[in-house]
Parts: sequence; C-alpha cells; structure tokens
Amino acid sequence: MADLSIQVRELDGVSVIEPSGFINAHTVKHFESALEDLVKIGHYNILLNCVKLNYISSAGLGAIMGQIETIRKNGGDIMLSNLRESVFTIFDTLGFTQLYQVFEQEESALSAFASIRRS
Amino acid sequence: MAANLDGMSFRLVIPSQTRYLNLVTNLAKRASATVGLDDATAAKVSIAVDEAVTNIILHAYQNDPNQSVEVELRFASNSLEVHLWHTGQGLREDQITLPDPSEYIRRPRKGGLGLLLMSRFMDEVHYLKNGDRNECCMIKRLG
Repeated sequence: MADLSIQVRELDGVSVIEPSGFINAHTVKHFESALEDLVKIGHYNILLNCVKLNYISSAGLGAIMGQIETIRKNGGDIMLSNLRESVFTIFDTLGFTQLYQVFEQEESALSAFASIRRS
Repeated sequence: MAANLDGMSFRLVIPSQTRYLNLVTNLAKRASATVGLDDATAAKVSIAVDEAVTNIILHAYQNDPNQSVEVELRFASNSLEVHLWHTGQGLREDQITLPDPSEYIRRPRKGGLGLLLMSRFMDEVHYLKNGDRNECCMIKRLG
C-alpha cells in the first residue's frame, strides 16, 4: 500500500482533495504537487477532506501555508473537513483552526463555499 | 492493560532517509500503547518523534542519506523516554525560539512548527551533546 495516495475531484466549483495515508516529510512532495497543480490551473476553492488521512506532520502544514497566500489573493480559500481527532489536534495546536474553516462533514464545507460565492 | 516494562529499553538504527519515518513513528505509537497511553496521547508521541527525526535528517544531516539515526525507547516506571542520537549539526537549547502561535496566526510562515509540536506534545524535550554525538531526548510522563 502506498504511503500516500491523493484523489482530487471537482464538486460544485470546489476542488476536493482527499489524501489517503499519511503526510510527512517523506510524502509531502506528492501533497504539495497536488495543491500546486490546482493553483496553476486557477482552481482556488479547495477543500481538504481528511477522512482518510491518518496523520499530518508540520511538513504537510507547511505545504498548505505555501499556497494559501496565492489562493486568498485570488479570492479563494482552503477549507478542511472530516478531520479525525489526532489530525484535528495537530491543526489546532498550531493555530490552524483559527486560520482555516474546519467542518465536520464535506457537505457543510461545500455549502460554506457556495455561500461565499453568493455573497 | 499496560505491560510491565519498567527499566527495559530497545534500540533501532535507521539510515538518515525520510522513507524510514513511518517505521519509527509506528514503533513509537506501539510503545506508547504498550505502556498504557491512550490512543490520542500515543498519536502525539508518534508525531513528536516524526518531527524530531525529520529535523535530524533534513537539518542536522542536511538530507545526506548516508548517515544514521539511532532511536532508543526507554520504559521507566513513570515515563516513556525517546532518545535520538546523531552525529550531524546539533541543536542547542539556547538556540531554540519556539514560534508564538498567536503571532504565527497574524503572520503565518513556514518553519519552526515541528519544534512547537514536539514541545506541546511531550512533557520534556532536551538537546544534549556528548563528544561528536548529539542527542534529542523527549519524555512523556505516564498518568
């Protein structure tokens, strides 16, 4: 089984990234590339669905930080959903839950993106 | 139920390559569970070990894959100790400035987050030097 596999799907104008496995210094390039590829083609509304993410280290959080400025400058955002407790704790400990909107379910995050587009 | 491992220890030596991170973090997680730490705490110990070994590989050894990292897990009566030895560039405790999370939120940037996770998830983190060997020692108290 691969250490990290990443599925990207388009849903209601949002690019949903679903990493499966773990993101650490060994696998982070793969995750970083997935984010960069979306930004390069102008997809700035990104939802990180963490339902299959076992853990993320600071390397993965750094990859998110590396793109967020460009994304927000272009009117988009990164939101997070379906975080298991251990993953939430990492985001929360580093203050990321104040920097990014976190939702229990993917549907709620998609609704939040839709509300932003309507406003 | 926690196993009685008081005074026991075991060692693992890995090449300084990130592909071995998962091996070490899984080991730390299993060791944490063995001494009776709950799943959430075991996950924290595991992440702290990931960050510490990553720092050694990427910064102390500057990604040189031909070095080694020695990992020792020690089971004491009231704590789990993780000792990591290497011969790369050592960190000194007085050189370390942990990012202030509230400042970080105002001005996000890359870097320094791993050290912060280590300090938040473990009860003690020390950096020691003995000859040409550097050590990162992390302690998680039980109970």
